Amino acid sequence: MTDAVRAHADLVLAEQCRANAPGAFEEVYRAHAPRLFGLACRMVGRPDAEDLLQEIFLTAYRKLGQYRGDSALGTWLFRVGTNVCVDHLRSRHARFAHMADPIDDDPIEAGAQAGAVLGVVDRLDLERALATLPPGCRTVFVLHDVEGLEHKEIASLVGISDGTSKSQLHKARLRLRRALAPTGTQGRT
Amino acid sequence: MRTCEDIQARLSLLVDGGLSAEDQATVRSHVRGCAACRGMLADLDRLRAAARELGPIAPPDHLWLEVAGQIRQSAPRQMPRGPRRIGRNPLWQWAGLAAAMLLVTFGAYLVRPSAPQDGSAPAASASSPTATTAGASNPAAGGSVETVAQELNMALEHYEKAIGELETMARAGTGTIDPALAATMQKNLSAIDQAIAQSRTALVEQPSSEPARTSLFEALRRKISVLQTTVALMNQMRLGDADGAARLAAGAGKKS
Repeated sequence: MTDAVRAHADLVLAEQCRANAPGAFEEVYRAHAPRLFGLACRMVGRPDAEDLLQEIFLTAYRKLGQYRGDSALGTWLFRVGTNVCVDHLRSRHARFAHMADPIDDDPIEAGAQAGAVLGVVDRLDLERALATLPPGCRTVFVLHDVEGLEHKEIASLVGISDGTSKSQLHKARLRLRRALAPTGTQGRT
Repeated sequence: MRTCEDIQARLSLLVDGGLSAEDQATVRSHVRGCAACRGMLADLDRLRAAARELGPIAPPDHLWLEVAGQIRQSAPRQMPRGPRRIGRNPLWQWAGLAAAMLLVTFGAYLVRPSAPQDGSAPAASASSPTATTAGASNPAAGGSVETVAQELNMALEHYEKAIGELETMARAGTGTIDPALAATMQKNLSAIDQAIAQSRTALVEQPSSEPARTSLFEALRRKISVLQTTVALMNQMRLGDADGAARLAAGAGKKS
């Protein structure tokens, strides 16, 4: 399906949602909820993610009138979702606003002595390690490495500079590396 | 000579392809001779690859029910459509009525072909069902409820006639356009048909409902637009003009 055809389909679907056509908003939900739930789980943790997913879709429903088809509906929803998650983190963590994670005060010994310490990275282990990161660098890691956004997009969504996004990503990766290193190698990372 | 600390600070950028060619060469040269930095680079690559594999997470089933319930609760107070937010302000109701009458007249004006001099039946143009209407007059100038209802019915008849003729043309040309595009157009038409049916039902229940009337005309207009695009696409494909068809498909995305 070409972008133009997809844009047309998205606009029609959005129009149906605005007109409260039966099943239209559920179609939007079914198509996009899994990605947005993944985003919310990783950004704010599972317990809050369920509430946030509802908030994301209610916000999207209220703002559908602003959707003009300039981007895919999924992209627009993702932006709504990210904003909801970032606002939630801001309200929970005063430090998030400045992206001044504790990591800044805790320089990582970046493994000056070690070689590679990671084998195959298990998905569940990575999810668990991700949950232990401070919110600022976790957000950037999720948006960049999991969702594939560019630093410029992240900077715009989160309200930080490109440079901060890059440094937070590097810190997140170093922390994850340390968290995922097998016991006994952690002192070397 | 760069230190390991300098190099390691740049490894993430190297992994992401964010270094200039010169910096990349410097870092790679260091990494080749340094086991620690090489190990860290390998780890960052692994982490990045593993993160890419983290896919969507299916939300619990009950969440949709909760979302739907909250939307139902909020819908009467906070409809996203403009006309329904207008509320009960009499000024807006008068403005709405005036807009509806304008719409009805405009709708009839748009779709009604010029009064045929020879008494022949009007026909919608293949490329534009509205093109034959230039200069059409509006004979019903009365302001009574009956007159408005008549105008409405006439406009609807003309819309339906134009739609019927376009549908016939679209059916006849099936197979000339890309199947994926045809499927999308069909899906769009089905969605619009659903909206038309709902607006009609609403009008039957509340004949004076201005939002229902507006929705109906909007949906009819959209249907004509989609059908026009479909027929025009078919014509372009018959002529072998793939570029023209692509332009039309792109335009379809912006119009509807």
